[in-house]
Amino acid sequence: MSQSVMQLKNVSKTIKNKKIIKGLDFEIYSGEVFGFLGPNGAGKTTTIRMMVGLMDMTNGDVMIQGHSVNKDFKKAIRHVGGIVENPEMYPFMSGWKNLVHYSRMIPGIKEERIQEVIRLVGLENRIKDKVGKYSLGMRQRLGIAQALLHSPSILILDEPTNGLDPAGIREVRAYIRRMAAEEDVAVIVSSHILSEMEMMCDRIGIIKNGELISIQSVEDALQQTDTREVSLEASPVDRVHEFLKQKLDSPVQLHSNTVTFSSTREEIPGIISGLVKEGVDIYSVNVNRSTLEDKFLDLIGENSIE
Amino acid sequence: MNNFIQLVRNEQMKLYSQIATWIMLIILGVLVIGFGVLMKVDNTMISGEGPTGENWKQELQEQNTQLKEEQQGPLDPGEEREEIKYPGYTDIEMNEYRIQNDIKPSGYDVWDFLQTNRSLISIISLFTIIVAAGMIANEFKWGTIKLLLIRPISRTKILLSKYVSVLLFAGAMLVCLYVLSFIVGAAFFGIDSISQTYLFRQAGEIQEASIFQHTVSMYLLSSVNLLLMATFAFMISAVFRNSSLAIGVAIFLMMAGNSIVLFLMEKEWAKYILFANTDLTMYLEGTPMFNEQTLGFSAAVLFVYYVIFVILAWVFFTKRDVASN
Repeated sequence: MSQSVMQLKNVSKTIKNKKIIKGLDFEIYSGEVFGFLGPNGAGKTTTIRMMVGLMDMTNGDVMIQGHSVNKDFKKAIRHVGGIVENPEMYPFMSGWKNLVHYSRMIPGIKEERIQEVIRLVGLENRIKDKVGKYSLGMRQRLGIAQALLHSPSILILDEPTNGLDPAGIREVRAYIRRMAAEEDVAVIVSSHILSEMEMMCDRIGIIKNGELISIQSVEDALQQTDTREVSLEASPVDRVHEFLKQKLDSPVQLHSNTVTFSSTREEIPGIISGLVKEGVDIYSVNVNRSTLEDKFLDLIGENSIE
Repeated sequence: MNNFIQLVRNEQMKLYSQIATWIMLIILGVLVIGFGVLMKVDNTMISGEGPTGENWKQELQEQNTQLKEEQQGPLDPGEEREEIKYPGYTDIEMNEYRIQNDIKPSGYDVWDFLQTNRSLISIISLFTIIVAAGMIANEFKWGTIKLLLIRPISRTKILLSKYVSVLLFAGAMLVCLYVLSFIVGAAFFGIDSISQTYLFRQAGEIQEASIFQHTVSMYLLSSVNLLLMATFAFMISAVFRNSSLAIGVAIFLMMAGNSIVLFLMEKEWAKYILFANTDLTMYLEGTPMFNEQTLGFSAAVLFVYYVIFVILAWVFFTKRDVASN
């Protein structure tokens, strides 16, 4: 196992006699992407703000590379790069000046490093433009550049794909995976969108009403679910429908030229080869992970506002 | 320390990257040049003109006689009053002091222009309040405060770098005002003499001082008000994280300060009100508002207010959570 870079120890937050965060306990390891998942208002952003010292903890502590955020803030935060909520920058300055600004706040960042992170996020051509003229995607990239300036060992990104178009989301996802894989950085990503989390995270911690209700490895979660929903596009579709009805116990649904059914992972190859023998043309086979989503919703239930 | 200088450089970079800052500097420049041009073109604007010819003593004497006559009562109907020749020299005692001590009035020159432009310090106060009010509140408004505070730097240091930046801005504006006024004044009115003697009244008594020393003192004393109001606006900005509120309250108090003191004049504690003490020039040229007031007293009162403002700003900035907007 890689080494642990951040530990949350019984972290709690009470605001006006209301327990917002109730004793969070978990660890994050180098080289992993940890997803922090929960419905809106579950306490994701509050937890992240406590991790980076923007909010005080009522109880507990966060250790970053062995340094306590409460007692030794400067040493702890030195290892953290982050974006909290939106990647807000000074709109009246160029991207370059914004980066120079943040680089001055941590000793030892050379101009070469600034250029390096600009290349990394692919902003070379627009770096001299004012940030006010940037698109949201470009601001997100600049935000990531800012977070990477001091080569942190832990990267905290609060809703990093918020407001991005599909291409932007894909890019950010690629950066995050690359950071974890190549630089051995631990990445914490928060989101309320499950499908997004599944695509970029190694582990997902699920938070509900300020409590951590489950931590799951994404791989495990996928393997655990033995039945999955499969949709198959083929012609002639009626023959497929008949074939499956005989072969499976579970109901088979037919929509125009697609059939949808539930099966285990092991059954799928048999079904496909059977269909091919029947002389059916198969155009596509999709395995829907909706079962995982069901599981998530089971866990979350209703996030009642207390 | 090196670290701290970097922070101040950051604040200065942000400040001077904003167009508003440059507009303020330009307005100040336009006002100084505008005043100069106006006074050059229209002589009646200059009230300081005095008799500078060979027989200035005689002219002053004549003016004094005329002034005394006027004081004696209303004119008979039909009689026309002679116009006063030197409206800047209507203080009979002062004129006599000049004659006795052989202090020749000087023409309107760069020093008088500098004295006139001292009133522009209130404009600088206004600009500094705007800058101070935005210093912290704007970081919250832009959302950049979150990125600013997740660095290995204490909040105290960040707060201090911001405060120093406000003071540097005020200092830069003051230097601009002084230097530009000097250049414009010298170009339009000439430099009479740096060693000329300036006469003024302090608590009723006539005093003399070198013009250069006097001008510098007046500028410095006038800046105290500026310092207090800027610190006040900075404090409001740190406490409420709202620049409009900080600007509004600070400017309101700056404008209404004197009225507040006058309104509460009868109260025993009126002399402890901030605004009864901010105008330190009253100790150099003029009369204190209250009999018990001395320069030391005002300095002590101002110091207490100053410390309260600074502590409030510090406590709220360092202790409070940065929550979602």
